Amino acid sequence: MSLSVNALDIKKRIERCKNLQDLEVIRLEYLGKKGLIPSEMKLLSKLSIDERKLMGQELNKLKSLVEEAVSNQKIQIENEEIEKKLENENIDITLPQKETLSGKIHPISQTIFSVIEIFGNLNYSVEAGPDIESDFNNFSALNIPLHHPAREMQDTFYIKNRDGEDSVLRTHTSPVQVRTMLKTKPPIKIIVPGRTYRSDSDSTHTPMFHQVEGLMVNKDATMADLKSTLITFLKEFFEIDDLKYRFRPSYFPFTEPSAEMDVAYTKKNNVLKIGEGDKWLEILGCGMVNPKVLENCNIDSSVYQGFAFGMGIERLSMLKYGITDMRGLFDVNIKWLDHYGFSPLDLRNRAEV
Amino acid sequence: MKFTLNWLKDHLETSKDLDSIVQTLTNIGLEIENVEDKSKSYSDFTVAEVLEAKQHPDADRLKVCSVKTSYGTFQVVCGAPNARVGMKGIFAPENSFIPGTGIKLKKSKIRGVESCGMLVSEREMGISDEHDGIIEVDPKHRLGEKFIEVFNLDDPIIEINITPNRGDCLSVRGVARDLAAAGLGTLKENVLIKSIPGTFESPIKWDKAFSGDEEYLCPGVAGRYFKNVTNKESPLWLQQRLKAIGLRPISALVDITNYITYDLGRPLHVYDADKIEGNLIMRFAKKNETCLTLDEEKRECTSDMIVISDNQQLHGIGGVMGGFDSGCSLDTKNVFLEVALFDPISVTKTGRHLKLQSDARYRFERGLDSTSIKWGVDAATSMITDLCGGEVSDPVQTKVLDNKNPKIIFNTSKVKSLGGIEIKNDKQKLILESLGFNIVEKNNIFEITVPSFRSDIEGEADIVEEIMRIYGFDKIPLTDVSDRDNKNNILSSELKSFYKIKRIIANQGYLEAVTWSFMDEAVAKIVSKDVIEIKNPISSDLSVMRPSNIPNLLNTINLNKSKVINNGKLFEVGPIFGASLENKQINVATAIGYGNVNGENWNSINQDFDVFAIKSDLMQILKNLNVPVDNLIYENIENKIFHPGKSSSLRIGKNILANFGELNPILLKSIDIGHSVVAFEIFTEKLAQFLAKKTSTISAFDNNPYQMVERDFAFLFPKSVKANDVISKIKKINKKIIEKVSIFDVYEGEKIESNSKSIAIRVLLQPIEKTFTEDEIESLSSKIIETITSTFSATLRK
Repeated sequence: MSLSVNALDIKKRIERCKNLQDLEVIRLEYLGKKGLIPSEMKLLSKLSIDERKLMGQELNKLKSLVEEAVSNQKIQIENEEIEKKLENENIDITLPQKETLSGKIHPISQTIFSVIEIFGNLNYSVEAGPDIESDFNNFSALNIPLHHPAREMQDTFYIKNRDGEDSVLRTHTSPVQVRTMLKTKPPIKIIVPGRTYRSDSDSTHTPMFHQVEGLMVNKDATMADLKSTLITFLKEFFEIDDLKYRFRPSYFPFTEPSAEMDVAYTKKNNVLKIGEGDKWLEILGCGMVNPKVLENCNIDSSVYQGFAFGMGIERLSMLKYGITDMRGLFDVNIKWLDHYGFSPLDLRNRAEV
Repeated sequence: MKFTLNWLKDHLETSKDLDSIVQTLTNIGLEIENVEDKSKSYSDFTVAEVLEAKQHPDADRLKVCSVKTSYGTFQVVCGAPNARVGMKGIFAPENSFIPGTGIKLKKSKIRGVESCGMLVSEREMGISDEHDGIIEVDPKHRLGEKFIEVFNLDDPIIEINITPNRGDCLSVRGVARDLAAAGLGTLKENVLIKSIPGTFESPIKWDKAFSGDEEYLCPGVAGRYFKNVTNKESPLWLQQRLKAIGLRPISALVDITNYITYDLGRPLHVYDADKIEGNLIMRFAKKNETCLTLDEEKRECTSDMIVISDNQQLHGIGGVMGGFDSGCSLDTKNVFLEVALFDPISVTKTGRHLKLQSDARYRFERGLDSTSIKWGVDAATSMITDLCGGEVSDPVQTKVLDNKNPKIIFNTSKVKSLGGIEIKNDKQKLILESLGFNIVEKNNIFEITVPSFRSDIEGEADIVEEIMRIYGFDKIPLTDVSDRDNKNNILSSELKSFYKIKRIIANQGYLEAVTWSFMDEAVAKIVSKDVIEIKNPISSDLSVMRPSNIPNLLNTINLNKSKVINNGKLFEVGPIFGASLENKQINVATAIGYGNVNGENWNSINQDFDVFAIKSDLMQILKNLNVPVDNLIYENIENKIFHPGKSSSLRIGKNILANFGELNPILLKSIDIGHSVVAFEIFTEKLAQFLAKKTSTISAFDNNPYQMVERDFAFLFPKSVKANDVISKIKKINKKIIEKVSIFDVYEGEKIESNSKSIAIRVLLQPIEKTFTEDEIESLSSKIIETITSTFSATLRK
């Protein structure tokens, strides 16, 4: 006995089928309750054991073949239908997307982040202090007595106090150095970024600006360490290994000896290029902490010594990022902020991951 | 401080050129401000002779000249009336840069006639406004002689920045001494200081009226009487030097005092002796006394000012400016001299009070050589007798306070231990001696006597600086400062939150702004009663410290609107101020949002940024700062910044972490804003506790395999019920199982009772040990319904 149908013929029939209704008809014809294969199965019991086994195998083989062919053809038909549908599904993909505002970090913050990162790698901790300060912390402790000509270098804002002596808006971040020295014992190794104020307003001065200062106090810090620290910083900050610089004597009441540092620059097509050329740009002031300042802060100047330095964040920002108008930093012009601002993910550290 | 190279060479014997002098000045701490060297910019202009001057064929007022120079003869079209055959003038060749006009000269045709170069006027050379004709030079000058030599402009002008400690270098001689110490030459003898004996007794004497403990205010004054002098114009060399440094020559007597002020740093004053009644006295001014000063201003004096007076009136304000009435004129025949010392602080106070700056004040404030009272008289005498003739009296002076030069015991190893550079003892000694210090050497100890002109030198650190700046800061060696062995904590938690929050807020699409710490008083007082005022504000609209960051950010809205930017998300992290706050300030991260932040777009609903939009940003920011946002407690805000019904504070424990909501229309109106603006404030110092959490405490992930179940409920609530209270009430029923409670619909309106609102809630349940049975879910649902209806007087909507 053998099957009355040819498996290959059935498969071809299924593959020729072009829609799901016809496919279902074919499926029922072979696999439905009254279909060919179940009907044949029922007849098996009438056969001899050997024939039953042989015939049973044949039928099962045929069943899986039909099932697989039907299932494949179903997918095939469905996909063809989808593709037909897709042909009519067209959009104008060039239409503009929804806008989202991109947040940006201000160049002043970006500069401060960069300064913290570089000095952090040299093991400086960051300190902060109040903007409204006492005259002692801002001036007297720093060896700037009343009527000293140095006070005329810093036009000061005064704050009315209902009782007692007037306060000042700090003219530099140095009062935080005083606070730190008064509350901690050496060794001290800090930087202090922050807002500072001077009563001055023109194209290159704003009544509020930012400084970062550094202070190192221990038993053996020297002018050579100071010079080396600052060069290390400037090279890293401007990302110039062979930065051309000048370290020259200067004067500040709170340091002795005092120095200033210039970096070389050239100007081509109104664009500043830092680090080379024969013009000089003053970039920071520094020096060995004046023994009088240490004594004013209850530190024994016969045992301890140290150095301090300070620089303007605005100037660093302008030089590094090519900003030409200082007022722009404070204008809150959205276009400007978007142009000069930094992505919050732009960490600018050396690994840059 | 300005001077010319030749003037410097009066004091410094040197073979060095301008460039090395200029470079050395900066290297030793006398920073160059400017060098004006006309010998470079004027090198093209030379003496030339007009050989021919013919009428221009096509122009009545022009001449065609043939001009002979040392390098050839050129045809020049010239319009000057004084151009004529045989004259000598100054020729500017083609391609030279004309300083007075700022134009590069090109070969051109003037009315059809070629002109190669030109004969210049004084204005074209930038030396005066004279432009009626071309420069004529004395025929004695040979062809090719340089313009700057003919006009004595070949002396380069050097301007340096003198730091407040270096009063001694407010004189050409002081600068020369520093340069000599730096090895640029030798300091010449001071020819002005010579003793000239008097021939009669001075009819005017000096006196001073200060009691013992005030004597330091005017340690002494000296003078001299000059009889039958002839005041006139100063000689050319003196006029030129004064002009070069920007001073106007007046007359010989006045010019001498100015010259000695700059040459030796010794301010002087000369009185017309015939205008003085009796003797002159230094004393405190009396109340309401006035003095007409040389600048013809009437000055109101106060009783702490030192003034100079005769029997009748005031003749000057000590250390600041002389009086007008006794000033010297060309008619002056008899002169009385003042050489005084004043206390720097007293002069500073007086000058500041009168708002009067002068070359004298500038030097007195920085401290004078205490011995100058003696040599100042000598220097003035030799110049006055030289230039004005006449006879001199014996010198007169008051008692002069003794000023002992301070001594410093200096250990030479200090240069290495403080300066970080090795300099041999004999080199140290040589430097100090060349700067005028006297040294007695014992082993490594110098006993140093500080010269009288260096009142800034007080201790060992100053001596180290003197040695090092002359030796050269550029020679300071470099050391390794990497400090690899230590690892400090770079940022405290407070500062970490202050800086970190900037990135986190920017990451939510906000632009960082930096605005003044100041603001307008009227607006500030809307926002807070606790406002700190600035005594001397830069302008009236920046007169108080900001009690909130919000108004400054709001101010930017209209500024940007004028640039057609009608939406924005802005933030600033910085201090706000209040008299009652600790240290008078706290740090706040403030943000505002307004307008349609998605921009005008075909595909988006044109909806303005609203409370729930900024709330979503705020919560995301707080989450990023480790704040457990589900535990935040809502609280009303007690200020005039926010809309009272559309804002809230967020609190955890005692600390308010943030405020947010719509801004108060009254505040917006005061800044001319007619639309709604939403904002948040985060108090960064309160976030430190959350940031301090260690990352190593993350618990293991619970990979729960049981099927989660969602159940939806809708309740009718009284309007006053707060959604957050409902959510937390449900969560509290079973914190383990109730994973999330969300609100997916809120309805208020006609379909339900007024005074009520419908809230639809979805609860997500997470079985812990095994899959829920239908009964368990049912019982939990009933529990939720029962709790909510009984707690909030709510009814379940079916």
